Amino acid sequence: MRSRNLPLWLAIVVVLALPSTALARIKLITLPVRERVEIQLDNPNATLVEEERIVPLVRGVNQVDFSWANTQIDPGTIVFRVLGGIDGGARADAKAGEKDRPALDVKVLSVSYPPNEPSLVWQVSSSGSGSARVRISYLLGNLNKSFNYRAIAANDEKTLVLSEYIRIQNLANESFGSTGLWAGFGPRFLKPIGINETREMLVEKYAELPVKKTYTCDPGAHGYLDRPQNKLLVPMHYVLKNDKASHLGAAPLQYGKVRIFQEDGHGGTAFIGEDWGKFTPLDDEMRLYVGVAQDVVVKRTIDKNEQRRVAGNLYDREVVVKFEIENFKDKAVVLDVSESVRAIRNELYGDNGRDVQWELGKSTTFAGGPDKEKSTFEKLLFHVSLPARGADGKAEKIVHKLHLLLKNEW
Amino acid sequence: MRRLLILGTLVLGTVFLSALAVRAENVDLSTVPSRNTVQLTIYNSEDLTLVRETRKVTFKPGANPLQFSWANTLIDPTSVELRFLTNREKLTVLDTTFPHAKPQMLYWNVQSEMDGEATIEITYFTSGISWSADYIGIAGRDESQLNLEGFVRVNNNSGEEYEDAQVRLVVGRINLVQKIAELARITPQQVTELGVAARDHYRVAAVKLAMDMPLSDAAAAPAPAKQEEPKQVAKEGLGEYFIYTIEGTETIRNGWSKRMRSLEAAKVPFKIQYRYRPAEYGDQLVRMYLLTNDKDSKLGTTPLPDGVVRVFRENGRDGLSFLVAQSVKYTPIGDKIELNLGPDPEVIFDLIKLRTWRDNLWMQLQGASVFKKVGEPGVAVEVNSSVVGWSDHTLYGQRVRNHTKKPIDLEVRRTFPGYVVFRSELPVKNYDYQTVEYTAAVKPAEKIDLMYEVVLHQGRLAKQNNVTIERAPVKP
Repeated sequence: MRSRNLPLWLAIVVVLALPSTALARIKLITLPVRERVEIQLDNPNATLVEEERIVPLVRGVNQVDFSWANTQIDPGTIVFRVLGGIDGGARADAKAGEKDRPALDVKVLSVSYPPNEPSLVWQVSSSGSGSARVRISYLLGNLNKSFNYRAIAANDEKTLVLSEYIRIQNLANESFGSTGLWAGFGPRFLKPIGINETREMLVEKYAELPVKKTYTCDPGAHGYLDRPQNKLLVPMHYVLKNDKASHLGAAPLQYGKVRIFQEDGHGGTAFIGEDWGKFTPLDDEMRLYVGVAQDVVVKRTIDKNEQRRVAGNLYDREVVVKFEIENFKDKAVVLDVSESVRAIRNELYGDNGRDVQWELGKSTTFAGGPDKEKSTFEKLLFHVSLPARGADGKAEKIVHKLHLLLKNEW
Repeated sequence: MRRLLILGTLVLGTVFLSALAVRAENVDLSTVPSRNTVQLTIYNSEDLTLVRETRKVTFKPGANPLQFSWANTLIDPTSVELRFLTNREKLTVLDTTFPHAKPQMLYWNVQSEMDGEATIEITYFTSGISWSADYIGIAGRDESQLNLEGFVRVNNNSGEEYEDAQVRLVVGRINLVQKIAELARITPQQVTELGVAARDHYRVAAVKLAMDMPLSDAAAAPAPAKQEEPKQVAKEGLGEYFIYTIEGTETIRNGWSKRMRSLEAAKVPFKIQYRYRPAEYGDQLVRMYLLTNDKDSKLGTTPLPDGVVRVFRENGRDGLSFLVAQSVKYTPIGDKIELNLGPDPEVIFDLIKLRTWRDNLWMQLQGASVFKKVGEPGVAVEVNSSVVGWSDHTLYGQRVRNHTKKPIDLEVRRTFPGYVVFRSELPVKNYDYQTVEYTAAVKPAEKIDLMYEVVLHQGRLAKQNNVTIERAPVKP
């Protein structure tokens, strides 16, 4: 009766003569098939399966068996609902002829759980003989989803086309025929998904997304390219903003791998890198680390380190961090220079466990000061415009200084 | 399959010297009176069920030995009691014997002054039967109301099958000094080694509760002539407990469990609140459904036993979204039910440190050092001192971005160890001596920074360990 390929089944046992829970020894079993299945993938930690079946019932008490051999159903989550279908008459999408039938009054009396079996038995009373549409919902393990992206940047790297895919892996040991699949956003897919099958579908394709290309040096976050020469690592990022202005902003961007390609100007594309895209809420930025920019050279040195005793072991300190920057690219770029004040203090004086009380000194040369939106008291961000290298191939050396007054240190 | 039980072998030997003498004979004739009624009173806080069963037994004048045995079950032998419900004045239990080398068996020697039938009642405790509650809530699409169903699930692993039993469930915590499962494992010989207090103390509360209550009318109610309805679960308070009585009788087979609906409430209103309470929910802002177990909320007829609540929401696509499964504690009538749905990706909650500074610096003088340069007159004097007291000021902006389509209510609790002044214009109050609580409303699509300054007095200035609230404007 139970097929290995169909570990999840529903059976109606006609127990006309037995109004109690006593099990009949001679059974007549009908096996209602699934009429509709919806798999809800909107919960980040759980997959909810909802299936509808048309269940033939007789007047009186009916026994409805539900079993799930070799599948990971959480029995506590199983919800059995009788819809106003077929004989209920109230269902809006009832088929022609179904609405005319008298309504069945169907009620769940109890649920019994047999020992050592992944199954349960509903006792259902029906006011008459006929069919009822029921919906059974349950959480199913090992039916997993993940997201991944493919981004194709324009040749000028000012826009890109972002395709978001959902990948569903069915290791639940249950196959589903034509099934509605919904991730909580985007379209609903109607696809079959077999046992051990992985299915990938395009959720959304966003064209002409403005992309910001950034070069960043941050000794705390990215470290050095060449420590003895004090040369900082300068990663290049693509930054996408999840807002309406950037043609996004409809839903958070899910965590997933982003593979990035660039149009090569000859009708093809070249793979330029990949990164894990973090979960990006609305209005936030997804920063994608594409690769290291070796043509932007940043040399960082401590140019000044002095302290003045205020009293006893109490000092005010003065630190100047110097950045010598060269852009060997043939186009102008903007470099983001990021520094943690606390990391600078720790680098020079060790970590005393206290926050740093600091002020920006007059010798700071970054035009416009720190980025007001993105800087915090603990981390400063400056933007530096770098001209393209000269016609002679030489890059202009641009020097900037970060002048900090650290107060009340001990 | 019935593993055991019981009752009674009524031995009709020709010589009635004593019960023990009868048992010494090699040729026995027994009758096995069957159960007439059985009632299970199941406690969910302990592995304890009080079984009360009645049987009809015919007695003859003189001594009537009754054998009661419970092989392969989990009955506590110290709890077995016999009472006569009819002809009480003509029947007496002369003695109770636990025979040697026959575990899980006893004999009652009943002296009868009558010749006829009597109804007897046998009560005992057994382990292995339990019950639990669980709930399913399905919220509407707009998340203002939900349909709540409560269920009770009875699990029978006692080794015995109870057919057509009246089932009563006790909500509450009783006190036991010994586990019934332990007592079920001891031999009858060990019974007498138990102190009286040990035998009786733990039984008192339960027996008072359950023994004196008659079988309810529902148990004897005839089967309905019309379509069978889901059974009603009658609820009534009793002292510190609540008793749920399931209508009619139930058969719960050994090894099986059975789940029945105990509560149904449609359109229960609830509120949504966003909370930051690290001690309770971790370092994250979580979304809560807040319900009240009262009549205004279409509940409030009974305390809600502890159990798992599974919450779904209509997803607007003719289906459900699973939101959370959460264990809730016993909820008295009138108390709140708080369901934590976890973080909401559409509400961003960041704490930004805007500025830090120190003042109120105190130095401790530790004498002076005197220096003299060789070849030069005079000396240099330096006073030695170190910082021993100061005040750390930190200005914070609690940044909240509401990307939902509804206004949200926000409640934040933050704990500050040490001697702290919390300075802000926010509606703030002390939750406890070192925790402040403030609230805010954030409109749809609004981004706000809730500003406050924390002053932490350190060193010799740390004269207290509490938070003082000062209402004052703060600026970045």
